[in-house]
Amino acid sequence: MAKQRTEVADIDRSLYDFRYDEEGFERLDAGLTPEIVTEISQRKDEPQWMLDFRLKSLEIYNRMPNPTWGPSIAGLDMDHIVTYVKPNTDQKADWDSVPDDIKNTFERLGIPEAERSYLAGVGAQYDSELVYHNMQDTASKMGIVYSGIEEALHEPKWEAIIREKFMTLIPPTDHKFAALHGAVWSGGSFVYVPKGVKLDFPLQSYFRLNAAGAGQFEHTLIIVEDDADLHFIEGCSAPKYNVANLHAGAVELFVGKRAHLRYSTIENWSKNMYNLNTKRARCDEEGEIEWISGSFGSHVGYLYPMSVLAGRKSKSSFTGITFAGAGQNLDTGCKVVLGAPDTTATVETKGISKGGGIQTFRSSIVATPAAEGSAATVSCQSLMLDDESRSDTIPSMDIRAKNVDIGHEATIGRIGDDKIFYLMSRGISEEEARTMIVNGFANPVSKELPLEYAVEMNNLIKLEMEGAIG
Amino acid sequence: MDALTIRNASAMPAPTWGWLRMNDTKIEIPVDLERIRAVTVEADEDLTETHASFEGAVADLQKRVDAARGDAEDTRACVRAAQRETESLDDLDTPALSAYQLRATRDEIANDVAAAFETGVHVDARSYLNFLAGSTVVLATESGDDEAAVVRVAGEAGGAAGASVDVVAAADSSIDLTISLDGNAAGSDAAGLIGSELRVFAGARARVSVTVYITADAGFTVIDDAGYVLDEGARVDVRHIVLGGGRTYTGLASDLRGDTARMEIGTRYLASGTEQRDFNYVIRHRGRKTISNMDANGVLTGTSKKVLRGTIDLIHGCKGSEGSERETVLLANQGVDNKTVPVILCDEDDVAGNHGATIGHVRPEQLFYLGCRGLSQEAAEALFVAAKLEDAALSAPDEQIRANVVRLGSALIDDFADFEEEIA
Amino acid sequence: MSTDALLSVADLTASVDEKTILHGVNLSVAAGETHVLMGPNGAGKSTMGHVIMGDPVYTVNEGSITFDGADITELSCDKRSRAGLFLSFQAPVEIPGVPLSSFLRASIAGRPGLEMKGKEFRRRVKELAAQLDMDTAYLNRELGVGFSGGEKKKVEMLQLLLLQPKLAILDETDSGLDVDALSVVSRGMDAYRASCDGSLIIITHNTRILEHLSVDRVHVMVGGRIVREDDASLIPWIDEHGFESFEREAAGSVADDER
Repeated sequence: MAKQRTEVADIDRSLYDFRYDEEGFERLDAGLTPEIVTEISQRKDEPQWMLDFRLKSLEIYNRMPNPTWGPSIAGLDMDHIVTYVKPNTDQKADWDSVPDDIKNTFERLGIPEAERSYLAGVGAQYDSELVYHNMQDTASKMGIVYSGIEEALHEPKWEAIIREKFMTLIPPTDHKFAALHGAVWSGGSFVYVPKGVKLDFPLQSYFRLNAAGAGQFEHTLIIVEDDADLHFIEGCSAPKYNVANLHAGAVELFVGKRAHLRYSTIENWSKNMYNLNTKRARCDEEGEIEWISGSFGSHVGYLYPMSVLAGRKSKSSFTGITFAGAGQNLDTGCKVVLGAPDTTATVETKGISKGGGIQTFRSSIVATPAAEGSAATVSCQSLMLDDESRSDTIPSMDIRAKNVDIGHEATIGRIGDDKIFYLMSRGISEEEARTMIVNGFANPVSKELPLEYAVEMNNLIKLEMEGAIG
Repeated sequence: MDALTIRNASAMPAPTWGWLRMNDTKIEIPVDLERIRAVTVEADEDLTETHASFEGAVADLQKRVDAARGDAEDTRACVRAAQRETESLDDLDTPALSAYQLRATRDEIANDVAAAFETGVHVDARSYLNFLAGSTVVLATESGDDEAAVVRVAGEAGGAAGASVDVVAAADSSIDLTISLDGNAAGSDAAGLIGSELRVFAGARARVSVTVYITADAGFTVIDDAGYVLDEGARVDVRHIVLGGGRTYTGLASDLRGDTARMEIGTRYLASGTEQRDFNYVIRHRGRKTISNMDANGVLTGTSKKVLRGTIDLIHGCKGSEGSERETVLLANQGVDNKTVPVILCDEDDVAGNHGATIGHVRPEQLFYLGCRGLSQEAAEALFVAAKLEDAALSAPDEQIRANVVRLGSALIDDFADFEEEIA
Repeated sequence: MSTDALLSVADLTASVDEKTILHGVNLSVAAGETHVLMGPNGAGKSTMGHVIMGDPVYTVNEGSITFDGADITELSCDKRSRAGLFLSFQAPVEIPGVPLSSFLRASIAGRPGLEMKGKEFRRRVKELAAQLDMDTAYLNRELGVGFSGGEKKKVEMLQLLLLQPKLAILDETDSGLDVDALSVVSRGMDAYRASCDGSLIIITHNTRILEHLSVDRVHVMVGGRIVREDDASLIPWIDEHGFESFEREAAGSVADDER
């Protein structure tokens, strides 16, 4: 008999699990055809090149196989995923103009409050379209552009830049869901930070998928020019349904010379979500990308932010946590390409599995022959909270350069009984003790988040840990 | 013989991204090789004259495994997931499994020792090597015995030779097996192939130690395939010394079935010129309080390539087990390609798994120390290459193998013969 | 300063990670002399040894190091070794996979007068091992791996005797704690002095190691500066009074400097 009897409690996601009717919303037929793709493009009044791009991506999608190495996506019936749901509103720049049900959603998620207190700009996407986008005057005076990517596509100056960069880091041929994204993408943000401009407050985009059986395919394109600095935050959530929802967004980040970009994500999709998201950054000389990533929700997750260190002395750091509870199979990690001399990369991840949940850390470090003098360290720790759960670590390294230093460490285990005993002997309940230890385990990630998000993350952990003791 | 390609060889159990080209390998069997008899077995008659068999030992173990099987229903999430007909989101508490996780769960439910038996390079290579060998030599100890045996495969250019060996170590016995895979092309650059197929059953509290030396010239393809089953308290020590061979494939799978079984693997390798090394280690912890350690240390020079897959699988029920894996690789030349995938699979909470890898050049503190003794970076790297061979020669199990190492060393290093004189 | 110095360190300032550790240090050692570098913990004594040897961890910001008539300030450590400098380590680093004998052979390879062929090398190393009471089985073991403190010291002394440097810097900061190690070092130093009349700099804060040694010069280092130089008579004085007075003085003079 197991010493620590562990009951799987249904997790309270009520904070995120509320939904509104889609009355008055436009919905395209489910399934995927060139007609649907053309219709999405036409509704958005896109340039011809984008329609061509979509149709080519669809072709690629149709001939590409599903991944065979990750969690099963058999429950995802693509013919029944609605690719496009347009809310009953156009994009607004003040919350009062946003329809009440949508506004209430974001109020409950705390977005307008956060905007007032510490954000330099906010974008909010509801299903397939942005419903709100606004930025503080100070930021726009600095020359920073933060708008919907579709909006930017209608301005000739930005259209040229978008055309040059769009899906070049993540080509549709990369994998099946990148191709799908290329075909049906909708919504998302465009950010441009001019040379030398440093923004002290973060920008945030929040993605909310409300419609049942729908997909969300937003595209985020961020350009941080030479010597500039930006912190971008992405939040995601959805209510729970008993049909599959799909998120296949794409994030492309271009980090200029000596520029710095921090990209923070707290993902808390509901447990019927297939999160097949792709994120990639490219750094020029001495540019730096920092990924902070928390993965909590989703039924199935495939998420591996990738850094391509293309310029000499560029840097990447990845700090991530993944918490897989009952019913979840989260396959997360990161990829780094050391593609220039003297680059450095650090990867630090924490994985927690509980209640029969499965979490896999998967990574790749590739050092090309050009990477002489580069260094990378990977550290991965996994915590098993019971004996029904599963935790796999599948890192890989392909090193083709001389004079590099590549280090890798991984450990897996459970909370030591001695630690629990120590805390309990000081009068702390077992549940509290476990939560305390798990929070401590997650601390390297939460300390990298802005306070408000660290608090949110700790709350998520607390929710997951409640009722963990039988 | 016709050209033959063994696909999906040495596949790691849980694959990763295909574009990395690390998941498995392809073994090209050179064309026009003549099947030759080049295997000698040095063992006492009481080892070879036996009625014991590997299959028999596994069947006995299966009886005990079945007797210990509980009848409580297993309602774990992965079992529910593996047993449902179709995936649906009606039950959000049942996770979607990957193809590997599904297979692992089914294997776990079946709990069948024979069906779960595997070797590191896998079944196609096994068939090929058994065909080359013609027949299998069974080395079986009696309880309380302390035995030793040597198997030599002496390859020739143009020839293909393989040995097939089963080791059945009775409870409380010990056996020390040395396998020498040597291919001496005698100056010819014609291709050749040598290999060995090994199955080991280590009975309760038995101690088995296996040392494999691969000292083939660059024209040879070498396949070293092995599978182990460990009963309660068995202890197995394996040393893989891979110094030569144009293409080498070393595969080892181990089933730590009995409680407190222990497996120690030490790998030392050198690859020079355009040689390629492929290693696949799969350690399955099934018994309680089982222990495994893998320690690999290698040097790559020239434009050589190496892949090392090391999987520690901590299977549900292996409470108190510990698996660890460590690799240190020195890349002594621009142009080498080193791939490493140290995997830990874990389906149990009361376990400890850890792995570490250090890849790159000589560490700064080592380089400074060696510099203080007059060695430049180039000299330090040359030392690491020479040391791999010298270390292998110093710890060679017998004179014949030592001579093989020295032959290989002399071809690679100018004054290696000097070393030979010294140890003689 | 005498021009016939074997080693001459002039106004040496060195730093690590932008933190200056040595501040304008001067030190001169003539051929055949034995010097002692003493000082409290953290004074920069070991750094001094490492900088003279050319440890790339440290940056030389100012000053020069001249050895045997040549400026070696910019030389890499392997070249300094081949010029006849030697630095013993508190313990040799561990180098798995490299047998001690392979390493020793590589260290003498290409040195005029020292390079030896197999049999000769074997005989010489055995001889030295016997002199140091070291088990020859260690020669086949991986360098430093699983060696005891005493064995590690023996390995260092064996190299000192094998390489016969013109100047040996023995960093024995921690050796005072271990009686076995102490006796190994003493034996090594005696044999070294007897065999090639080389110069010595002994870095220590413990005077026991110096008991049977004829010391020419004592340098006291505090806070990265040489604060006192004297003959061997300073040793019993330090034995009795420690370094406190030097530290007080140094603190005072630094304060003066900054005024």
